[in-house]
Amino acid sequence: MAHALIPPELLSRLKSLRLATTRSRGDGGIGQHASPARGAGLEFVQYRGYEQGDSLRQIDWKLYARSDRFFVREAERESPLTVWLLLDASASMAQCDRARPGWSRLDGARLIAACIAEIALRQGDRVGLAGLREDELRGLPPRTGSRAHNGLWLELQALTAEGRFPGSARLMPLWERTRAGDLLFLIGDFFDEDAVTLVERLAATGREVRAIQLLTAEERDFPFAGNFLFHDAETGVELQGDATSMRAGYLERFSAAQRALDARLDAAGIAHARGALDEPPDRLLRAVLAPGSRA
Amino acid sequence: MNLSLLLPGALAALAALALPLLIHLARRSEPQRIDFAALRWLESAPRPRHSLRLEERALLAARLLLIALLALWLGQPLLFGAGDVRPFIAVMPGVSREALGTLPPDARAHWLAPGFPALDQTAPDTTQPIASLLRQLDAELDPQAPLTVLATTAFDGTDAQIPHLARAVDWRIAQGEAPAPQSAPEPEMPALHLIADVAHAGGARYLQAAAAAWREGIEPPARHDPEEILPAAGNLTFVWLAEGELPQALRERASQGATILVAADASLPEPAAAVSLWRDAEGAPLAEGAAFGKGRIVRFTRALSPEAMPELLDPGFPDRLRALLQLEPPQPARADARFWRPLDGAAPWPETPRDLRSWLALAIALGFALERGLAARAPRKVPA
Repeated sequence: MAHALIPPELLSRLKSLRLATTRSRGDGGIGQHASPARGAGLEFVQYRGYEQGDSLRQIDWKLYARSDRFFVREAERESPLTVWLLLDASASMAQCDRARPGWSRLDGARLIAACIAEIALRQGDRVGLAGLREDELRGLPPRTGSRAHNGLWLELQALTAEGRFPGSARLMPLWERTRAGDLLFLIGDFFDEDAVTLVERLAATGREVRAIQLLTAEERDFPFAGNFLFHDAETGVELQGDATSMRAGYLERFSAAQRALDARLDAAGIAHARGALDEPPDRLLRAVLAPGSRA
Repeated sequence: MNLSLLLPGALAALAALALPLLIHLARRSEPQRIDFAALRWLESAPRPRHSLRLEERALLAARLLLIALLALWLGQPLLFGAGDVRPFIAVMPGVSREALGTLPPDARAHWLAPGFPALDQTAPDTTQPIASLLRQLDAELDPQAPLTVLATTAFDGTDAQIPHLARAVDWRIAQGEAPAPQSAPEPEMPALHLIADVAHAGGARYLQAAAAAWREGIEPPARHDPEEILPAAGNLTFVWLAEGELPQALRERASQGATILVAADASLPEPAAAVSLWRDAEGAPLAEGAAFGKGRIVRFTRALSPEAMPELLDPGFPDRLRALLQLEPPQPARADARFWRPLDGAAPWPETPRDLRSWLALAIALGFALERGLAARAPRKVPA
């Protein structure tokens, strides 16, 4: 079921990827978050022989009755890492390339979110989801395990892109749910000032934020020639003009805006990556899952 | 080679060239609508420049070409000077294939027969209107095309004048079998079927006597009553000596080709333009004739009695009567090829220009197919 969202060959490539945090975990204590520590918990992992220092409460007395030896029941410790997938669900996410009309920016964002969730769940992390839209904020609280899996896929599929990016007042629930130390991914176009402000403020309050900017190939290349009527789905603004003569100016201003955005994100300590809809998501995932190892 | 138009005014239809231009300009102004979220980095200042930019130029060119061809077609173009100047060899029917020898490779060889069939077709009949065909050939051929005629040593089909052509004819007499000379057939005596009532029996006797005098040993034709049924067959000449209307049966025979001699007091079916065929010594008409259907009707203008018509007693009357009833045999039209060489130096015939409309219609059909093909291939730009 998971794999309706992720193509099989991409799923096989995901096996080599791992989600890493850049910050040392205050509450986790020892080791990398990525190696799941064994300990007390619900999910049974193995029995091991009793060693000095183990609590007597951990000894499985029924097994002792059968085998006359002390065994300690070990369970997987709950991961200290909570991953939040925040998806921009404003109307601009519904935009497609003319070269591939059925594949919107939201579809690309869904695919990336599903890949991150797949990797995080495989590592035993808890994954939460939120779709950011002006009229409603919908999502799932962080959970782990196979039930989290299914809930995530359903919620991802149910997302639709409408309206504008929510203002800070609408985003209050997000501040209540996420805690300092959580790992947050925001996937969107980052054209809206509100989105940039949001990630800056989340990063400033101790959350680890990673920004994934998805562009359409047309925004990147502006391959238009002739007379066009450009329409912004979020603001309703329309602009008519000769695309050929607009191209040079647009590309210059657009790349300047991207550089300014990069500078702001770097200043806020936010790892970020930019990709387009016509590229496979591998490079984007690799850059954003383990930013420290980025070339 | 030059082109001219029969209706140069039709070129005003070239004004319709403006139509596809206007269509392409009007269609261009329709912008494609597209969603674009990065609108804030687009500058609104450069409006589409108001230069005349045309799109789908291939389609426009095809449409302009199509309209230009249509206007040209309306003008009825003619091409002068595009005639075939290859040498033309006209072979009279009867020239044997062996006598042809080797023909020049670029020559056109045809039989000298109506329609000028090609030489590889079966030889036409040997009697052809040679003089008329030569004049036709001279008028139809390009003035620059040399004409060679391969003639049999003697031929029929000449007329009153040796052809006076615009070009010098290479007149060769081929060693071939000449067509058999047409022997002038001995004129047949008209076979009379004499119908006379009692009142005209006296006049009928003169005709019976004249017919008996045409040739020795001929029985004089019997006299039949008007009520008798006409004989069904036979190439007969009818004589109707009775008062009043010509019967329907005789009229039918006349329209089928028979000659009918009627008395002066018979009333003719219609007043045809009759021509005097026989006049007496003072010039007064004695008999007049007119065509009737395929045949003819000859009528005496006077009663058949020596008082009214003394010529009945004349010794030459049988011959006159026969001449009256018989058409003249055809004039001999046989010529010796050595002495019947066509003359040259006549004013050349005006050239027959070639009508280009059929070719233009083909080009228009092709142009239309091209235009439709391009229009179907043109990408439909659907606003995203």
